Amino acid sequence: MSQHHRSRVVRTGLVAAAAAGALILAGCSGAGDDNAASTGFTLSYAVTNSAVVAPYKALAEAYMKENPDVKITLNEVPNDSYGQTLTTQLNAGNASDAFQTAPGVGQTYSTVTLAKAGLLEPLADSATKVIPSGSESQFEVEGDTFGVALGLTFVGSVLNATTAKSAGFTYPTDWDGLISSCKDVAAKGKSLFVLAGSMPPNTGLMAMSISATRVYADDPTWNEERAADKTTFASSQGWKDTLEDIVDMNKAGCFQKGVQGAGFDSITSNMLQGSSLAAFVPSGSASDLKQNAKDQEFQIQAIPPAAGGEAFGIAGADYALSISKKSKNKAAAQKFADWVATADGQKVFADAAGSLPVGQDLSDTPFAPVADIVDKGDFVPLPNASWPNAAVYDALGSGVQGLLTGQKTVDQVLADMDKAWG
Amino acid sequence: MSATMYSETEVVIVPKRRRREQRQGTRPRRAGVLSFGHWWWALPGIVLVIGIHYVATAVGGAYAFTDWTGIGAFHWIGLDNFVAIFQDPTKIGALGNTLFLAIASVLLTNVIGLGLALGLNRLIKTRYALRVLFFMPVVLSPLAVSYIWKFIFDFNGPINAILNSLGLQSWVRPWLADPSFAIWAVLVVIVWQQTGFAMVIYMAGLAAVPPEIEEAAAIDGAGLWQRFWHVVLPAIRPAVAIATTLGIVNGLRIFDQIMALTNGGPAGATETLATQVYKQAFSLGNFGYGAALALLLALIILIFAVIQQRLTASRPEEA
Repeated sequence: MSQHHRSRVVRTGLVAAAAAGALILAGCSGAGDDNAASTGFTLSYAVTNSAVVAPYKALAEAYMKENPDVKITLNEVPNDSYGQTLTTQLNAGNASDAFQTAPGVGQTYSTVTLAKAGLLEPLADSATKVIPSGSESQFEVEGDTFGVALGLTFVGSVLNATTAKSAGFTYPTDWDGLISSCKDVAAKGKSLFVLAGSMPPNTGLMAMSISATRVYADDPTWNEERAADKTTFASSQGWKDTLEDIVDMNKAGCFQKGVQGAGFDSITSNMLQGSSLAAFVPSGSASDLKQNAKDQEFQIQAIPPAAGGEAFGIAGADYALSISKKSKNKAAAQKFADWVATADGQKVFADAAGSLPVGQDLSDTPFAPVADIVDKGDFVPLPNASWPNAAVYDALGSGVQGLLTGQKTVDQVLADMDKAWG
Repeated sequence: MSATMYSETEVVIVPKRRRREQRQGTRPRRAGVLSFGHWWWALPGIVLVIGIHYVATAVGGAYAFTDWTGIGAFHWIGLDNFVAIFQDPTKIGALGNTLFLAIASVLLTNVIGLGLALGLNRLIKTRYALRVLFFMPVVLSPLAVSYIWKFIFDFNGPINAILNSLGLQSWVRPWLADPSFAIWAVLVVIVWQQTGFAMVIYMAGLAAVPPEIEEAAAIDGAGLWQRFWHVVLPAIRPAVAIATTLGIVNGLRIFDQIMALTNGGPAGATETLATQVYKQAFSLGNFGYGAALALLLALIILIFAVIQQRLTASRPEEA
């Protein structure tokens, strides 16, 4: 009897323990499924400067404010290792649910590159509707959209209007005027432009801004022709003119002294201290500079055309938001992507990133000097986003540094770019 | 009769293999401490080292024969990556820079390090403080040191300020962006930081050289140079072997200093195989090509290490 009783007690205890364990486990998984899986997700993006609020963070905070039940876990990654970090995580299958990508194919974390590798989840029609006109190939693969376009950027130069005004300087409207202005400004101990000459991303950006009027104004489909092997960099007069203009600028003293070895820090310090008037940086940098110097005004300027040419620019979405194919919280991430594609979401990002406010009157904004170009649609998307690999842009940036130091000729740089194209 | 003699310590720690080797008249002792354990106890460690180090390296090396971009699928392309490397003048330039920095740095650090070790070996009263000063750069982070030197070499840095103040404006230049000087600037930084390491190795070697031998040579009429060349240097041959081997290996894989000082510029003038491995594999998304460069670098390090070991190894008659 006592033995039976004891065994019953043991059996009851075991059943109770198993039931309790199952309930605890169910409770744990239930909490994860109901809360984290349905409304929470993770978001990765690159950060460059801790003093400046990353626009993706601004998006996440605004979305969580509108949707208090949503918890977005933010993963901030340093900008210079972002591509490497993201691709490693995607390969390992532990990337965030949603993350920053770069439109097109030019970077290691480009939208189309990752989509073709089967690592991205196709997005809803809401994402397709916000793709800037002419930039479809930078977001779509075989009819599906893989990135929400964000941050329409104008690529030209950013002028410190406060310093320019105090120096009695007016931004030139033609190339000869620009060369002449360089000499005048240099004679006063300043430089018209500050360039991070040792940083290929900055020298490359300068070359691309100049190429707008030399290459793409006459032939907006030049990249497609290059992809079809109908032309080359080396045989393009527009690209030759672009690089020769840079050599002329160097000779005219357009850049600060010691430009060949300058880093990104020179841009910030020269622009804020007034020793240089303008820099070749994306338009969004005007917002970053403004955050650091609230008493100064910054304007977006287009690069003046060559004699006989017309004003033309480069503008396009510089950022994108994508969702991982292996995300376990796709529904929540997709809802967020839908909201990002709305006018509200786009405005939050544009305000935080200092992007071009599409469809608004630009006359009272830093974009006033390029308002005509934008209104007429006289621009093409960022050229390097359509180049087949990152090495082409690197060859351009590194080559421009070679032009400044005298290590390379224009023809050598163009040949290197063709070689990198493959 | 066995001539084997055991010290008291050996008796305790060395396991006895044969009973007849025991000293006669002594009682057999329990097995030595070394017998407490079996070789297979090291198996987890061996497996981890092989799995994490060698297998991972071999798998990474296999990518050298693919066109993998870092994401997605890849194709086996045989030796195409290696052919591309040797057909690209910039990669040949990187190889040349690698060898130049390795050989020049190992020569300079060892000559200067040996000189410092000889100077600070005896006699000088402040030698202990000086040893610390000369060794200090070794313990600092290469990256931090490089950023300080980057400031020194900067166009607006102290070198150009001094030149300006001396009226030598024509000498002022962006040192790290000057194609003729950039590689030398990198070499200066490497030598400045690594000389202390060679010095410490040579000081350890010199401590083992009995002063009596030098005194005997001096009494026999040997001059300073003869005493160094025929007495001291042969005695510190093992230290030379260690210092030069480590120096050549470190020199061949130099990376941090270049990335911080020049990032391989201007226009590739200071690129080495190590910086190219990083850029190709991680910045430009050519993982297969980067793996091929890494394999080539590993091969070069192996070859140089073997050659250098052969050159500095003790001759059998000296053993």
